[in-house]
This record gives sequence, C-alpha cells and structure tokens, in this order.
Amino acid sequence: MAVWNYLESLMPQLVLIVFALVLPALDYLFKDKRVLALVSLVPLVSLVILLVGWLFLDVWAMSTSMIDLIEVNAFSGLFMLVFLFVGIVVVLGSPEFIRTDRNQGEYYSLILLAITGMTIVAESTDLIALFVGLEIAGISSFALSGFRKTEKRSAEAATKYFIIGGFSSALTLFAITLIYGIAGTTRIVGIEPILAGNPAGIDAEPMLILASVLLMAGLGFKIAMVPFHMWAPDVYEGAPTPISGLLAAASKKMGFAALFKIFLIGMILTKTDWEVAIAALAIITMTVGNLIAVSQTNIKRMLAYSSIAQAGYILIVLPVGTQYALAGGLLHILTHAFMKSGAFMVVAAMGAIAIGERLDGFKGLSKRSPFLALTMTLFLLSLAGIPPLAGFASKFVLFSSSVYASIDPGPSWLVWLAVAGVLNSALSLYYYARVIKYMYMEKGPETTVKVPPILTVAILFAVVMVVGIGLFPDPFVEACRTAAEAFAGLPSGWP
Amino acid sequence: MDVLQYAWLIPVFPFIAFILIALMPKRTLGWEDGWGYGIAGAGGALALSFLVIWEVMNGNTLTEDAPRTTWLIIGGYEVTFGIWIDQLAALMLLVVSIVGTLVVVYSGGYMHAEGETRRRYYAEIMLFISVMYGLVIADNYLQMFIFWELVGLCSYLLIGFWYQKPSAASAAKRAFIVTRVGDIMFMAGIILLFKYVGNLDFAVLFDVNSGAAGAPTVPSDILILSTALIFGGAIGKSAQFPLHEWLPDAMEGPTTVSALIHAATMVKAGVYLTARTYPLLVQTPESLLFAAVIGGVTALIAATCALAANDIKRVLAYSTISQLGYMILGLGAGGYLVYHLQNPSGYTAATFHLMNHAFFKALLFLCAGSVIHAVGTNDMRLMGGLRKHMKITSTTMLIGALAIAGVPPLSGFWSKDEVLAAVYHAGDLDPIFLLLWVLGIATAFMTAFYMFRMWFMTFAGKARSDYHAHESPRIMTIPLIILAGLAITSGFALFAGDGFKAFMELPIEEHVLAGHESAMDVAVEIFTDPLTYVSLALAVVGILLAYRMYYMPGFDRSVFARGTAGTLQRALENRWYISKFYDDFACKVWYGFSLVCDAFDRRVIDGAVNGFSYLGASIGGIIRKAQSGNVQRYASLIILGIVILLAFLLFVVPWGGW
Repeated sequence: MAVWNYLESLMPQLVLIVFALVLPALDYLFKDKRVLALVSLVPLVSLVILLVGWLFLDVWAMSTSMIDLIEVNAFSGLFMLVFLFVGIVVVLGSPEFIRTDRNQGEYYSLILLAITGMTIVAESTDLIALFVGLEIAGISSFALSGFRKTEKRSAEAATKYFIIGGFSSALTLFAITLIYGIAGTTRIVGIEPILAGNPAGIDAEPMLILASVLLMAGLGFKIAMVPFHMWAPDVYEGAPTPISGLLAAASKKMGFAALFKIFLIGMILTKTDWEVAIAALAIITMTVGNLIAVSQTNIKRMLAYSSIAQAGYILIVLPVGTQYALAGGLLHILTHAFMKSGAFMVVAAMGAIAIGERLDGFKGLSKRSPFLALTMTLFLLSLAGIPPLAGFASKFVLFSSSVYASIDPGPSWLVWLAVAGVLNSALSLYYYARVIKYMYMEKGPETTVKVPPILTVAILFAVVMVVGIGLFPDPFVEACRTAAEAFAGLPSGWP
Repeated sequence: MDVLQYAWLIPVFPFIAFILIALMPKRTLGWEDGWGYGIAGAGGALALSFLVIWEVMNGNTLTEDAPRTTWLIIGGYEVTFGIWIDQLAALMLLVVSIVGTLVVVYSGGYMHAEGETRRRYYAEIMLFISVMYGLVIADNYLQMFIFWELVGLCSYLLIGFWYQKPSAASAAKRAFIVTRVGDIMFMAGIILLFKYVGNLDFAVLFDVNSGAAGAPTVPSDILILSTALIFGGAIGKSAQFPLHEWLPDAMEGPTTVSALIHAATMVKAGVYLTARTYPLLVQTPESLLFAAVIGGVTALIAATCALAANDIKRVLAYSTISQLGYMILGLGAGGYLVYHLQNPSGYTAATFHLMNHAFFKALLFLCAGSVIHAVGTNDMRLMGGLRKHMKITSTTMLIGALAIAGVPPLSGFWSKDEVLAAVYHAGDLDPIFLLLWVLGIATAFMTAFYMFRMWFMTFAGKARSDYHAHESPRIMTIPLIILAGLAITSGFALFAGDGFKAFMELPIEEHVLAGHESAMDVAVEIFTDPLTYVSLALAVVGILLAYRMYYMPGFDRSVFARGTAGTLQRALENRWYISKFYDDFACKVWYGFSLVCDAFDRRVIDGAVNGFSYLGASIGGIIRKAQSGNVQRYASLIILGIVILLAFLLFVVPWGGW
C-alpha cells in the first residue's frame, strides 16, 4: 500500500514531529522545565540507537526501499546520525542556558522540527523534497535564533538570519526551476541522464552554469561559504549559545548534504564547469575564515569564523569528486559536529556560570575549572587537526583524497587544495592555541566555578567521541566509505 | 583457564591505580594520599605476574598465537596490540613485579613527609610501572616503541619530581633529551625494518632470513644497519657510553624512583630491547661486536667514575651503568657465540645478570634511601659510623655490596662470572673479546673497591658530621630484608630445577640445543675454571684495598691529590670530563647552531609569518569592514558574489582552458 510505504520510510521524521507537537503541551503540565529536555531526548536517543545498530553494529537492517521523494541509505543514515548527535548535545546544553526563559516547550519543539527538516534533506531524492526540508529546518532555526525576543541581540540576529535566509531560499528555488526547465525533471538522479542526452539540442550550458552559481549562493548561505557567509558571525553571536551550536554543527551539515546530492549526483556531468569555481571558493572560504578568526575577541564569533574555515575544508570534496573524498568529507562532518558542538557547550557552560563570552574570560580557567579547560583544549586541538584526536583523522582522509585524486583521475591542480588545507590548519592553530594559552598560562580570577551536571554530561559525550574517533577511526572511516558508495557515479579514488 | 591469555591484564592493574589516584577526590585517597591504591595496583600485577611466570616455568609460552587486537589499518598494514610471553618476558615480569611492588611499599615510609605532592608521586609511579609492564609484554616493535616512549616520559616526570629545585628540573630535561637521541635511532631502526619487511610483529620479524617458507628477507647490510640502530635505542635508555651521563644526574629524583629506574624499569628497558632483538642481532655479528665494545667500554669508564664519587647515590648510579655495560657486553659476546658456535651461554649469562642485578641494585638504592632518610644528606664525607645507629640498613647494604662485588655464594658472583666466562670464550673467535674480558676483569676489581669504599665511608668509623641518625621505620626495612634475601639467593637459580640456562631458551627455534648441561655440570664448570679464581681474587683484593684505605686508620689519602695521581683523581671526579665536554663543547656548538637557527627563525620565518599575519590582519580588516552588520549590504554582497562567479565561469574558465 502506497501510503504505508510513505509512512514507513518517513517513520523517523514522524516520531520527531509527534514529539515536537506534544512538547508545547507538556510545557503547561510540568513546573520543572528540565522535564521538557528529557522528553525531547527520547526520540533523539532512540533514533540514534536505531541508527547505530544499523550502521555500525549490524544488529538490524533498515528498509532502504526507495519511494519517489526520499531514499534511506547509508549516506542519509550517517547524516541523520550527525543531526541527532548534535541535537542531543544541544538539548543537553539547553536547560541551564534557558533556565529563566518562557515558552521552553516551543524551544525544544523547534529544535526537533529543525532536525526533522535536516533529515528530510539528507534523505531526499527529489529537488522539491530537498527544498521542503531546507525550509522546515530554516524556518525553525530562524525562530530559534530569535528565541529571546526581549534581547536585542537575539532579535537582531533572527531578523538578519531571516532576511538573508529568505533571499537564499529564493535563489535556490530559482536554480531548481532552471534545472527543471532544462531537464524536465526534479528527480536528482534523473537530471544527469537527461543532460547526457542533450535535450532538444539546445545549448543548455550557460543556463546550467547559472543554475550552478545560484545553487552555490543559495546553499552556500547554509554552509556559510564566503562570500555568502556574512550572516553567520552576527547570528552565531546573537543566538542563544546552544542554538549557535545547532547552526554551526548541524544546519551547516544539512547544506553539505544538499550540495553533495545536487552537485555530485545531479550535476556531475557538468563538473568541469563548476569545479574550478568551487575549488576557488573552498580555498577562499578557509582562508578568510581563519584570517578573520585570528582577530576576534568574542569566543562565539571566533568559533563562527572557525566554522566557516572548516566549511572550506569540507568543500574540497566537490571539486575532488571521488568516493574517497566524499568519505573524508563525511568523516569531517561527523567529527566537526562533535568538536564544534562540544566547544559551543563549553562556551554555554561559561555563560551559564556567568563568565561570559569574551576571550578574556578564559584566562586562568585551568585553575577555576580544570574540567572545562581540559575539554576545551581537546576540542580546540581536534579542530586544529592535532593527532590523536578526531579532527586529525578526518582531515587526514579529506586532504589526502585531493592528493590521490590529483594523480588519478586528475586534474593535477587538485593537490593545491590539500596544500591550502594544510597551510590553513597551521594558521588556525594560532587562534586555537591562544585560547589554550589563556586557559593554562595566564592568570585570571581565582574563584573556582561549578559546571552544571547536565552540561557536564553533554561535554563529556562530545569529548568521548572526539577522543574515541581519534584513537579508533577505522569503524567510522568504514561507515563513511559505505555511505559514500551510495554515490555510484563517482570514481572510487580509494588508495 | 589459561592464565597466559590474560597476561595483558598485568599492566591494567597499575594503570587503574594510576587513574584512580589521579582522578579520585582527595578525601577518598586513603593512606598516604594514594599509597593504598598503589599497593593494590602493584600487588594485583605482582600476583598475576607470578601466575604467568609459573605457567612459563612449566614450559608454556604464548608468542605467535597470542591474542591481538587491531588498532588501526594503515594502507595494507594492520597496527595490532598483542602480547608476547616467553621466558625473557617472564624474567622481566619477575623483576618488575617484585622490585616495583617493594618500591611502592617502601615509598610509604620514604615519601611520608612529602605531604600533598604524594598524590602526584604515586600516580606517576603507578603509570611508570604500568607502562614498563606494557613494554615487557609487547608483541611488536611499534607497541614496544609506544611504551618505550611512555617509560621515558614517566622517568622525566619522576626525575623532575622536585621540579622546584633547578637541578632536578634540568636533570629531568637532560634524561629526557639524552635518551631521545637513542629513541630516534630506535625509531629509525624499526622504520628501516618496516620498509623492507612491511611488518613490525615479532612473529614475522624474527623469521627474517630464516629461509623458512614465506619468511621475509632483508639484505644483510640493511639488517646490520637496522639492528645497530635498534641497539642505539638501548645505548640511550640503558645509559651506555657515550650517552651515559644522564643517569648520574637522574639522582635528583626521590631515591625510590632511582631504585625503580636502576633496578627494574627505565635502564633495564634498553637491555631488554637488546635481548628481545636477539633473533635479529645474532644474524649480524658486526652489530654484536659494536654492542660488546660499547658494553665493555661503558663498564670500565663508569667503574672508574665511581671510584672518586662522594655522593652515595652517584656511586650507585655509576655502578649501575657499569653493570649494564656488563649485560650489554654479555649479550654482544653471547650473540657472537651463537652466531659461530650455536652456544647460548652469553645470552643466558647476561639475562641472569639482569635479574640478579635488579635485586641487589634495588636493595642498594633502597638502603641508600634509608641512609639519606636518616642523615639528610647524600654526601658520604658527612656520614661515617652509621652502623651503630642503623643495624638493619648497614647489614642489608653489606649484603648488597658483597653481591655486586662478586663474592660467593651471593647472586652477583654467579652471573658476573658467567658473563666474563662467555666473553673469554668469545675470545677464541675474535681476539678483541680478550681485550674486553680484561676490561671486564678490571671493572670487577674496581667494583669491589668502590662498593666497599662506599660502605666503609658510610657505616664504619666515626661520625664526620653532626647528624641524628635513627633506623628507618619497619615499612622501609622490611623491603630491605626481602631484597637482601633475594640478593643472597637469586644466584642459585642457576641450579634450581633444570637450571636457569635451560629455562632461558634462546628465542630462536633453530638454535635450541638438545641436551642441556645439568646443574651439577654447571657448578663443576664454574669451580674448575681458573678464571673464576682470577675474578674472585681481584674482588677480594679490591675489598681489602678499600678496607686498608677507608677503614684502617693511618692511611694518608692526600697522596692522591698530588702529581699524576692528583690529575687522575681530578679527572675521575670530573667524570673524565665527558659531562664537561657535553656542556662546553657540544652544547656550545649546538647553542651556536641554535642561535643561527633562532636568528633565521626570527628574521626569516617570523618575518614571513609576521608579514603574512600583517597582510592577513589588513585583509581581515578590509573584509571586516564589509562585515558591517548591515543586512542590505550582506544581500548586495551575495548578488555581487553571484555576478563574479557567473562571469568567472562563463568567461574566464573557458578562455583559460581549464
């Protein structure tokens, strides 16, 4: 039965939506708002168990049947796992942060809805479904970043985010229309064969280039690709800190899921048209992100620019375009989700114990809270790509992919992407190490601080994953490899 | 249940203790800030070690079929962690478990006055013991190297335990940096082997060039180079000439740490590595000769340095270097015997000496610790007459001194004699071993002399300073008594059961000889050999000389301050100026080079970086201007970006011929 097929494939989304609808009601029933966080953890954790059992432990198989609009496969499963992990960390980090706020039911509800949208993007096989997913996630996060209506900064961030977001959605939609105009289909896998057949004998190339550029702009907004990144630091700074974590670690990854699907499946035929542009944008993005991060004095802005730089690294995947590169990109997406959300949770903890968001606040932190200082150090070193942490493993696969691809299948200039990535990593160490220096070498206030237990759990979870993936990368590389194999049109590139 | 399968748990016990001591809240630490956890961790490892040793003594080993887990897959190579329990590993387990546990027990008294910092002490010492176990049971060179480096790290931490003292901090750095020279060689050696074999597992490497089916082959010159490089690691870790100067300085740590480093962990790792590499070493007589010469020279030089030292711990430190030289010499000569005659006597002798030395050296150090604990100084010139106050310490230390001097029937006699006999025997193959034997005999004489010089200066005669000595608490004297018992009896392992020689099978299957000598044969061989009496006579003469010079009154020691003797005396006091050479020459040259590097770094690299960062900051500044917070501006920038991208893709890319 067709309806049942739809429902079965959409089950994870349905679960999330049901909980999202129930949560605002629960808000009226419980005085202790931490219950809401607990309730919203239920679907997240149970879906994680479902996915881990499927992807890593082989306990059960998921129905990977394809219906018209979505497909559940290893690729979507991996992305879904990332979104859910980030969701868990964000939810764990929230109760302390929004302790005094009203409408907490909506807050958690919106988080679940945002994640629902993201999972739809990861599973979509159709441009329309993809767009719907983007919008669900987008609109939920607009509302979330303006959650503190009375706070000027928060409201301003939400307004900016909404205007630029709406603008970018329009660009994306325009690109989708152009593609439909040329190919006559919105099915992502259906675009390439039609393009190969050169429909109607017209010269579609300029139109396709326009569509590619519009997609780069529209989705580049999601991943904060330079020059479409302007909103990101303002919004990250203004939004509630856990939501900044959600935007940096999950929403951005949704943009990548969409980019991978459209460019590496739908538009793979015209790769020679767009690869140079995206390669250039990748290098510009990582460099600009790192350069501006150096001069930041607000930790959240610094992390925002560092996120932009990390997006630049992941963009390498598109011009390289091998399964190995895609696996590296997926692994980096996975590890980045932990490193970045972990770092944001440390910042949230600092906020919760009234230290604030200025870099100066980190001075002497090792004396005040050895736990926060140590975990922050691990997150930052991992972001910089120092072994044996997760960031090293994923950067290694990612950068080496461009080296291998420059030999086969080429072109040879791809190697410069790795060079740029490595140089940028070195540059980024400067501002990461500065925070570590502040924490361990500089003197600050002597009073010890107490980290709220629930935040401790969130941070611990992230740190275990960062160290665990760093020490035992193999199962994760394998999972990413399986996921990348869903992109059958790509050359393997596996060494 | 097969105990050997669970040998990997041995390092886990002390490691858990380390974690608990380091992380548990202060109030739960119990006795002596973590001593209890330390005892439990060390005791657990001791118990399991003994079970494992028992299994090995019953003839079971676990080598090639041992369980291993894959850690990483790099290219086609699986990096595995596994265990490798053979006789050699069992011997080391015995040494590390007994000495380690007794040192932890003894620390309960020795470190009592340290207060807050004891937590750090016990945490570090548990980690030290744990990683040493890890090194001992490693089944591949990479795993061994990881633990090797961790051992180095722990020794750095513990030597610099009193890091507030500048001398301790610099001694720690020195130990770390000097052994690092050896570590690099070790690493180069295993990288070289990996390049040719593509594997670092002992199971594969020990078959190199064996001719068996599927056995890897390595060109002989490469094998010589790699074994020599691996031995280079042992030179650094086991403080062999010319990298031996860090060990006397390492006395800056607590005496318990010195005991552990000298008897069971750090420096024994180098000898263990050499013995572990034996299946490869015995194929390369050149490396063996190199090792033997290094060992012989080290034994002599270190012994001479000990003659004039006045710091009780420095005397012991030089004696350790000297004894390690013996072991390396024995291994080198023994390998030669295996290579030419299929005779494993040098290997068994050196490993036997390793075990005996561990017990009597731990004893001597802990005795010295007891003395220092009582008197509050390391300088023997300020001691004297301590025998009256410290009955147990003086007696046990006398036993230790007799053992190391080689007086029968104490343990040192048997193993030293075996080593020297093997070296003499190798003299038939290459006359250079006869020269090395002479060095060894001279060392034996000097050893007897300086050990009794130390004992007489410390315990005999009258007090030379105003001290208030007292015997140490029982928690410290009991380990001394146990170790003294071991120092007396461990030599008889040569005769127990089938004898030590039969137990210490060579790790090379083809070389296992049928028909071992019986215990009786060994004894007869020792006592009918005239060389035995030569070394024995020299030891006795050394002791008597020390007695005459440092015990009996009326000997004018000022003759040593004049003329040639004075020059020699000063040279000895300055450790043959080797340390000075490092400080004055090597360090200056290096410092000069460093200054050049520094200038290059400041001017060129920093200049470039600063220029780059200035450029970056200015570009950042320009870009930041765009980051105005103005939404209209953001939107127009997006449009601008789209236009530029379009222009680029439509006009520049096709034209540029990408």
